Amino acid sequence: MKNRRRATVACAALAAGILVGATLSAQQGQTVAGDAARGKPLFADTFNCYACHGFDAQSGERRLVPLNYTQEGFITFVQSSPLPNMPAFPDASPQQLADIYAYIRTIPADAPALGDVPLLREILERKARVAAE
Amino acid sequence: MAKRVDSTSAGSVDRRKFLKGAAAGAAGAASAIAGTASAQQGAPASTRPVTRPTEADARADFVPPEPRPGAQFIRHPGSDYMVDVLKALDFDYVAVNPGSAFEGLHESLINHGGNRKPEILTVLHEEAGAAMAHGYAKAAGKPMMTLMHGTVGLLHASMGLFHAWCDRVPVFAIVGQPRNPTSVINRPHSAQDMGSIVRDFMKMDDEPTNLDVFANIAMRAYTIGLTPPRGPTLLVVDSELQEAPIPDPAKLTVPRLSMPSMPQGDSGAVKEAARLLASAERPLIRTGKLARTSAGWDRLLELAELLQTPVDVGGYGSWQDFPSWHALYGSGGADYRPDVILGLEINDMTPSVRGVRATGGKTISICSEYLSQGHNIHDFGNYSEVDVAIAADGEATLPSLIEEIRKQSPSSAARVRSARGAQIAAAHKAIRESEIDAARYGWNSGPVSVPRMVAELGRQIQNDDWAIVSGHQFTGQWQRRLLNHDKFYRYNGDSGGFGIGYDTPASVGGALAHREHGRLPIAIVGDGDFNFVGAGALWTAAHHKIPLLVIVHNNRAYHAEVMLVQRTASRRGRGNDMVDIGNVIRDPAPDYAKIAQGYGVYAEGPITDPAALAPALERALARVRAGEPALLDVISQPRGPT
Repeated sequence: MKNRRRATVACAALAAGILVGATLSAQQGQTVAGDAARGKPLFADTFNCYACHGFDAQSGERRLVPLNYTQEGFITFVQSSPLPNMPAFPDASPQQLADIYAYIRTIPADAPALGDVPLLREILERKARVAAE
Repeated sequence: MAKRVDSTSAGSVDRRKFLKGAAAGAAGAASAIAGTASAQQGAPASTRPVTRPTEADARADFVPPEPRPGAQFIRHPGSDYMVDVLKALDFDYVAVNPGSAFEGLHESLINHGGNRKPEILTVLHEEAGAAMAHGYAKAAGKPMMTLMHGTVGLLHASMGLFHAWCDRVPVFAIVGQPRNPTSVINRPHSAQDMGSIVRDFMKMDDEPTNLDVFANIAMRAYTIGLTPPRGPTLLVVDSELQEAPIPDPAKLTVPRLSMPSMPQGDSGAVKEAARLLASAERPLIRTGKLARTSAGWDRLLELAELLQTPVDVGGYGSWQDFPSWHALYGSGGADYRPDVILGLEINDMTPSVRGVRATGGKTISICSEYLSQGHNIHDFGNYSEVDVAIAADGEATLPSLIEEIRKQSPSSAARVRSARGAQIAAAHKAIRESEIDAARYGWNSGPVSVPRMVAELGRQIQNDDWAIVSGHQFTGQWQRRLLNHDKFYRYNGDSGGFGIGYDTPASVGGALAHREHGRLPIAIVGDGDFNFVGAGALWTAAHHKIPLLVIVHNNRAYHAEVMLVQRTASRRGRGNDMVDIGNVIRDPAPDYAKIAQGYGVYAEGPITDPAALAPALERALARVRAGEPALLDVISQPRGPT
């Protein structure tokens, strides 16, 4: 039990260290000028982001459109992701991530309103009817 | 006993003839080459013509089958009796990829058995045969046979048998054993201990030494395979036992099948479980592989509605067990903190124990895995410190558990539970709405999003009696979210072992089981899965006229693996631009429609435009409704949104 607690403390310290380091590398408080044109091949080829997030950054797991991160938060997260299903990319430079960030921000949401997708609306209504039975 | 032909001398005579013919042929070929060379140099061509072999030459080259003891007219071969025994087990189908180690049984199935019950299903790979038997057993509620050649056939089948083992599904497998092989071909197909090749994932295997024992072992294999925890079983059948005449047919009888009842939970433990559930404020049911039959589905529904408790049907590897659009389907919402968790056929309760322990909650596990006799594969999960552990079959124990909960429920229970059910239904309604909201994203994008693919399918089949016969490992939860799994047979489950190659052939097996009920079977399979033994399985569907729609969810890669290599490359600081090497299936991109067409199956694709999907589905489904298989190759996004 003691060992487990020590390990937990060590993990927490390590995670904190990674986060601090990542934040520093992103030069906290400063934004980097991102270039969407450079970001597209970085998204699709260099970092293969599409493999999880979809070719359109919104059809996969997790959805990136709309992107709710600040640029700084995005860079920090990608460089040091603690999530099991999202690898950390410590080698990705702030400039590269700023470019990817800029590219994702240019992708329009392909999410028609529910009222404009009769098929999904029908499914939702049928589901509600079945659940009420 | 007829005089045994000396195989060595017979073989040497044939070999001499063969070599003589070969030498003559080689001489002819050499002459022809020389003639060509001479002609090129402008010299006179050889005058010796190259002649076609005569019928006598061809006959001399033919290597006859290995001589057998008593190679004569046999009125009552042992394999006829074997077929009589197998008929007593009521098999409808047997998957066969032919092999000389079971040619006696093969011939008896056709001529003695009339190719009925079981009927031979010709398969192009033994793995496909085992997977078909696996998928069939889950959809039909009864096992199917698969018949294999010695060692090589068994090795090919081993992956399919492994999946059946991990999925706890009975498959009745027979492998031929060439006894005393004299030919160079059949020596590697014979083994000192044939069953050991797959013993690590078979519930039992045995090699009967005479026909009485064959009958005994066949009955044992059947009953053991179907008793929970269920699994595949293997009979190793000696080729000589198949061929030799039955010494005295009148003395051989076919045993009557006597199936044991399924193991039910100890009455004291069931009472304690009922007490905890009846008095729980926030119970939760979690299921793994519970409903073996529609009765299990019905009883779980009855229990959930009696308690008004959410039912969390597990993810990958779990069976359907509970209707996916029911108000109680789910885990109760983010704010629902269960105080009692009932696990039904979940072989690892550790997350549940961890989840309730901090708040003093209790856990109950009813699981046939406790009855497992141990094996090599680590698929039995962690040991879990549950409060009430019941070693029994979940489905068989549900009736007594429900009865006991009714007895122990106070009169006020109905009102309290009704209020609980309303809260759960409200939480689940919000979840349903958010899931549908997520489905909108990428709706018009090409490649086609997974939710769009499933939703378009749902619209086309809503008036059919459909069944999804593939797993959902690569479509996430979208099948359950967008298709109303309101019947036991709507979803046939995953492979169990999480290996690739199960989905397409197992879907053919599932579709075969649904054919007699006139259901509309559909499979959504990954391109990676299809590339294993899927294409050949389509031929079996075409040949045997098994209606089935196969939608290839074609993301042209093993995308789950891309992320894993990304993670490793990142940890090592080596960059990510190369991680698609070894993971993508393009340059050239396989054309699955053409492949299917080559096997005689109606097919369309590749379909990249979401707007083209509905009409393509309509055309393909018309073929399936008419009784034939069809395939659509849909270029899809790598994964579905969560």
